[in-house]
Amino acid sequence: MDQLDEMLLELKDTSELMIDLAYSSLLYNNKEIAEEVVLMEEMLDGLANDIQRQAIERVVQDRDEGKAFTIIKLAAAVEEISDAAMQIAMVTIMDDEPHPVIRLSIKDADTIITLAEVKDGSDLVGRTLGKMRLASQSGMWVVAIKRGRKYLYGPDKSTRLEIGDVVISRGPPDAEKYFQDLCFGKERLEEL
Amino acid sequence: MEKYDLTHATVREMLTEMKDISEIMVDLAYASIMFDSEETAEEVKNLEADMEELSKNIRIKAMLSARTHKDATKLSSLLEVASASRRISNAAGDIVKLIECEVDKRPFLSFILREAEEKIKRLVLNDGSDMVGRSIDELAVESETGMRIIAIKRGKRWIYDPEDETKLKAGDTLIVRGTDDGYDILRTHASGEEKWPVYPDEETEED
Repeated sequence: MDQLDEMLLELKDTSELMIDLAYSSLLYNNKEIAEEVVLMEEMLDGLANDIQRQAIERVVQDRDEGKAFTIIKLAAAVEEISDAAMQIAMVTIMDDEPHPVIRLSIKDADTIITLAEVKDGSDLVGRTLGKMRLASQSGMWVVAIKRGRKYLYGPDKSTRLEIGDVVISRGPPDAEKYFQDLCFGKERLEEL
Repeated sequence: MEKYDLTHATVREMLTEMKDISEIMVDLAYASIMFDSEETAEEVKNLEADMEELSKNIRIKAMLSARTHKDATKLSSLLEVASASRRISNAAGDIVKLIECEVDKRPFLSFILREAEEKIKRLVLNDGSDMVGRSIDELAVESETGMRIIAIKRGKRWIYDPEDETKLKAGDTLIVRGTDDGYDILRTHASGEEKWPVYPDEETEED
């Protein structure tokens, strides 16, 4: 992968994280998370521009206008997804309390968002997300971690969980309980 | 995907449906690019039309239910969320339009998508797998492996966003989304190498 490919990938991955965060902000009426989505959107705006500019510059060298066209179109579409995430986050920011139906609708979805605090004695303590393979073991994908006053957005494989971390994750409804019990230390990880 | 009776659907149901559809559309859009599937791209376009319908109906329902200024204000932000889902679905529609571009210009896209945090992959369900004949719900595929089945190709037919009750059949090609290790786990089960896990104490625990 060259630099441009990596930029496109970051654009895609971030846009998806933003959607999860935007819905989380609505669900928990959390303005701090919503503000982060707005910051990410600004960052992606710049990134999408850089991608499009570089794609054009590249045509001058390789004359592959078809590839540049594809890149520019894709970047625009992905940026649109990030704009949509911001639109959702803005509802959280502007409203004192979002319409209760919004929350109910999010809870009924095929993919839900949940949070749980990592308690002392949980298998998750001191282990990295990658090492535990938390996503495949629990079915839940971690989108943010609140540690003390700080948030970690879009943690990666090397992120280690600590006692007291509040973990916000996304996944199927039937995985919610197991995930929470893992955090509470009521359930053990199958493989360590 | 389940067809919806819009005339009786509530605002709440429609908003949930819009969220679900918009998310599956993005996955399907990337899948169509990765596997160069015009049929999947076609489905994304159909879903885009469904979203348009939903979007119209949710606005009407919301307007009818507003009685006070306060109601209207709250409902207006609900409609913002609906409009954001629609926007996501439009973006997915734009992504599948890339399918119409010259084929030789796209391989690099699959190459990039293969590196994404959550990947879209496919696998074939073997005769010898104990997943055969069981439903997605019964297996709890996503909570067990973290992999979501976004589509199934059965012979010439496609099943998009399969229902929980959908029973898997030998020879099915599953299009899945998730992490690499989730995929590896699912593949050992789909090939028949490993038995699907059973939790014997599950029922007794409920008592």
